[in-house]
Amino acid sequence: MFVGRMIQRELRSSWRRLVFFFICIAIGVGAIVTLRSVIHSVRQAFAGEARTLIAADAVISSNREFPAELTTRITARLAEAGAQSTRSVELATMVRGEAAESRTRMVELKAVEDGFPYYGRMTLAGGQPYDFRLLANGGAIVRPELEAQLGLGVGNRIVIGGRLFEIRALLDAEPGRRLGAFSLGPRVFVSMADLEQTTLVSFGSRATHQRLVRVPDAALDALVTALRGDFTDTFARIRSYKAQEDDIGEDFERAENYLSLVGLVIVILGGIGVSSVTRVFVQQKIKAIAVLKCVGARSSQLLAIYLAQVVVLGLLGSIMGVVLAWITVHTVPGLLLGAASPGVTITYGLTPSAVSQGVGIGLAVSLLFAVVPLLDVRHVKPSRLLRDDSVREPRDWWQLAAIAAVAAALVVLTIWQAGSWRIGLVVIVGLLATAATLHVAGLVMVRAIAPLARSRRFAVRHAVLQLARPGSQARIVLLAVGLGSFFIVGVRALQENLLQQFALDVSTESPDMFLIDIQSDQVDAVRGAIRSVQDAGSPEPMLIPVLRARVTGVEGRDLQLERYEDVRERGSLAREYTVTFRPALERNEQVIQGAFWSEAGPSDAEVTDVSIEESVALRFGIAPGDLMRFDVLGRPLTARVTSVRRVNWGDSRAGGFMFVFRPGVIDRAPHGAIGFFKGPADSNARARLQATLVQLTPNVSVIDGREILQAVKGVVDNVTLAVTVVGSLVVVSGLLILIGAVSMTKFRRVYEAAIFKTLGAGRPLMTAVLTVEYGLLGLLAGSIGAGAALGLTWGISRFALDIPFRALPGLTGGAILATTVLVAVVGVASSWDVLTRKPLGTLRGE
Amino acid sequence: MIALRQVSKVVDSGGHPLTILHPLTLDIAAGRSVSIIGPSGSGKSTLLGLIAGLDAPTTGQIFIDGVDITALSEDALAALRGEKIGFVFQFFHLVPSLTALENIQVPMEIAGRSDAKARAQALLDEVGLHDRGHHYPSQLSGGEQQRVAIARALANDPPLILADEPTGNLDSANGRHILDLLLEVKTRRHVTLVMVTHDPAIAAITDERIVMRDGRSVGEGGQDAPAQ
Repeated sequence: MFVGRMIQRELRSSWRRLVFFFICIAIGVGAIVTLRSVIHSVRQAFAGEARTLIAADAVISSNREFPAELTTRITARLAEAGAQSTRSVELATMVRGEAAESRTRMVELKAVEDGFPYYGRMTLAGGQPYDFRLLANGGAIVRPELEAQLGLGVGNRIVIGGRLFEIRALLDAEPGRRLGAFSLGPRVFVSMADLEQTTLVSFGSRATHQRLVRVPDAALDALVTALRGDFTDTFARIRSYKAQEDDIGEDFERAENYLSLVGLVIVILGGIGVSSVTRVFVQQKIKAIAVLKCVGARSSQLLAIYLAQVVVLGLLGSIMGVVLAWITVHTVPGLLLGAASPGVTITYGLTPSAVSQGVGIGLAVSLLFAVVPLLDVRHVKPSRLLRDDSVREPRDWWQLAAIAAVAAALVVLTIWQAGSWRIGLVVIVGLLATAATLHVAGLVMVRAIAPLARSRRFAVRHAVLQLARPGSQARIVLLAVGLGSFFIVGVRALQENLLQQFALDVSTESPDMFLIDIQSDQVDAVRGAIRSVQDAGSPEPMLIPVLRARVTGVEGRDLQLERYEDVRERGSLAREYTVTFRPALERNEQVIQGAFWSEAGPSDAEVTDVSIEESVALRFGIAPGDLMRFDVLGRPLTARVTSVRRVNWGDSRAGGFMFVFRPGVIDRAPHGAIGFFKGPADSNARARLQATLVQLTPNVSVIDGREILQAVKGVVDNVTLAVTVVGSLVVVSGLLILIGAVSMTKFRRVYEAAIFKTLGAGRPLMTAVLTVEYGLLGLLAGSIGAGAALGLTWGISRFALDIPFRALPGLTGGAILATTVLVAVVGVASSWDVLTRKPLGTLRGE
Repeated sequence: MIALRQVSKVVDSGGHPLTILHPLTLDIAAGRSVSIIGPSGSGKSTLLGLIAGLDAPTTGQIFIDGVDITALSEDALAALRGEKIGFVFQFFHLVPSLTALENIQVPMEIAGRSDAKARAQALLDEVGLHDRGHHYPSQLSGGEQQRVAIARALANDPPLILADEPTGNLDSANGRHILDLLLEVKTRRHVTLVMVTHDPAIAAITDERIVMRDGRSVGEGGQDAPAQ
């Protein structure tokens, strides 16, 4: 009863001082609830849309044309199940305008038949309805980007694979294609019949053949199972919308857990705020606690009173966070995600699970971070009322145990939010390491400025004394603000370093243009065309013969894989590999086991030789002497492993292959070639070369490395933006902690200021003291954060990315300056009271 | 009522032991009023704090009603204070966030009494602050705050009232009123009153005096002993 009443009375008087407590919690909880709810909403919207995403109930696909007997089989199965189907083919190719001098572009071509799509809608620009007749007989539907890049619009004609197509409509959205995903070029739709009249789909070209299936739901599972059985030992795959649904579920779960970790980091920073508020709160309450003890209250009762207050405040803060989340979710509808998913409508709203998780975490963090400072309640001696003995009690076992328990609980919380042990632990260790570094750096820096306390200037001397005195919140502010600037500077520096490195790579002699799908009879023509436009001194273009092959069996000492089905169980070993053949090692290769052949082998051998890359040997346990069976475009080939190679993947000039065959047998199989070379520096010359190549060999795709760089830059920019947003949130919570720290210690500052004023200090002088104090604090926080960020960037550049490190003094200096100004302004502004309060009232009140 | 046996207190002062109370033995009988008198730093308040169990002695035993309080745990001490001891401080030490009435209720609520509110009002009447119950300490004058503190000290009908310079922070007129109130309460309720003061005039009104200097008792006397 006593405890209950006291909680009520205490809250009545202390809630104002604890407003900051629940702001800390509210922001973190708001972040968690918002992020989770948005993901839940998007996920819900997509859950019903799995069919739309694959435009069918099931999709049969293969990287090569379906063999005739398999097609018969599929047709029979579909008829049996009462299913309909429509074919489609996707491939990357080059497009140019009709005029001879027109520019060329790489596009992602998709050929469809009447009937596509079974689910979802093709959305055309201007609200024009989609009809297959738009494609039939030489029609094309293209993305607006292509229109912009080639300067061609509806009614103009384009050349694809040597055939003319008329642009009949512009495409806004198509089922199953997400915007923002990496792509080689804009989408172009044509009809299947027209595609077959081009030179594009020849034996061995790189295309995905699909068959979209519509089937009554009752028959779907049986059909999928039956076809999967038929596909044993072939390269065709079938995928139903249900599997798609599962995949989407997993993707979203991962996204949700990552974003929640961001929220958790913010809550933990809020928790640091909570901890400092609680510590100051207990300090202010010491007298009242002593009085209550003096009239008979037990420590446990007092602890219960204050813990219960923390629960109430944590709950209020969490509720406020939920309200914040509600406002955010409803006022910023789809600001970030709205455009990412055309064709799917998303209703944003808070979800019960997000709300309950947010509130749960808000409460847990409030309690966890408040409990250690609250345990000080037990040390308050009632004898304080008689004489002010500030004997500091040593940390007792209870408190140490509480700290350990709190740390353990935080680890559990993080693992829960990350949805994974590994990621949770990595985050915790990362946070701890960063916090410890910043903490130590903070201690060193505060000590480093200590000599300034002997300065002759009043403002500097007192500012430093304020920062260095016991009970100052300087270190916590350093930690929070430093962490924020660490995030921002770190990711920016990394981005700059990465992009500069890419730019350098492109500008040196390394190849920056790539050719794929060259037929073997086109190699000489292509080489000639390139040589004629290359700048003087450029290295010879590399045109490497390639074939596509699958491993269908292994007879080895350690590994026995009888059939293709067995290979499939080994995961990536079953994928289609691009392989080559040559008589010698490349300059970026070295043999680490066995011996490489020195010349071509006999062309009539039953078993040829193959050299495997190190990772294949390690991952799958294949060793020299083992026999491997391959399927090379439908033809079986047996090869003995004669060597294991190590490839320096960083040296891209010579390419890298998992499997290299001995020439002799394999070169009799039909093969194509890929090429890489240094294009001309002048961009007009590059465009001319592309046009020439497309005219000469319409099936060859030309990829310009400079354009890829632009695409990569786009992705890096997006990631940078995302991390910068997180970093800004961290800085904001750091500033909140600063404001809180200022208002927590204000009672003391106001009193001191009153004394200074009585002794003759004017308001300008007091302002100067505060400005120097917070400016110094900001300077330290900025330097620590930027310094740590540079360290991190150096480490990542040096050890993970293997690129040279650049210090970026402009970025670093700017960040430090910005932090200094920000902290100074916020610190002085929130101390306004200290400056304006009249001294007499303050002194009389004390 | 109170018995001290060889009680001393040594504190650590900058790494050196500092004796603030030399071994002291004394007895105070129930129903007496006793003043502890001496200059600042003579150990008066320390002695009072030890008797109240607010602090533990370095050596010796303290008995309250025959119970050795030096053997009690923190919580048992708290319970003993709630039941047997009322405390009045020089700086009043009311809880600033509670109203006058609530400040008086607290000890009774801790003891689990259900009539806390009614009794608190009666005590407020007894100290002459009938209509000030809803005021916060900051809204009361020093004299009024000390009256609330006395009412709080009486809340659980303790047999022992300890007062630390109860008039030290008040002007002489208010001080006189508080002193009268304390003595009146002592007589009416038959409690033992131990009061720390440095004012010989105040000490003169009590039954007995314990004179402290430099942590030692330098003399004690009955009613007839001359006040120092």
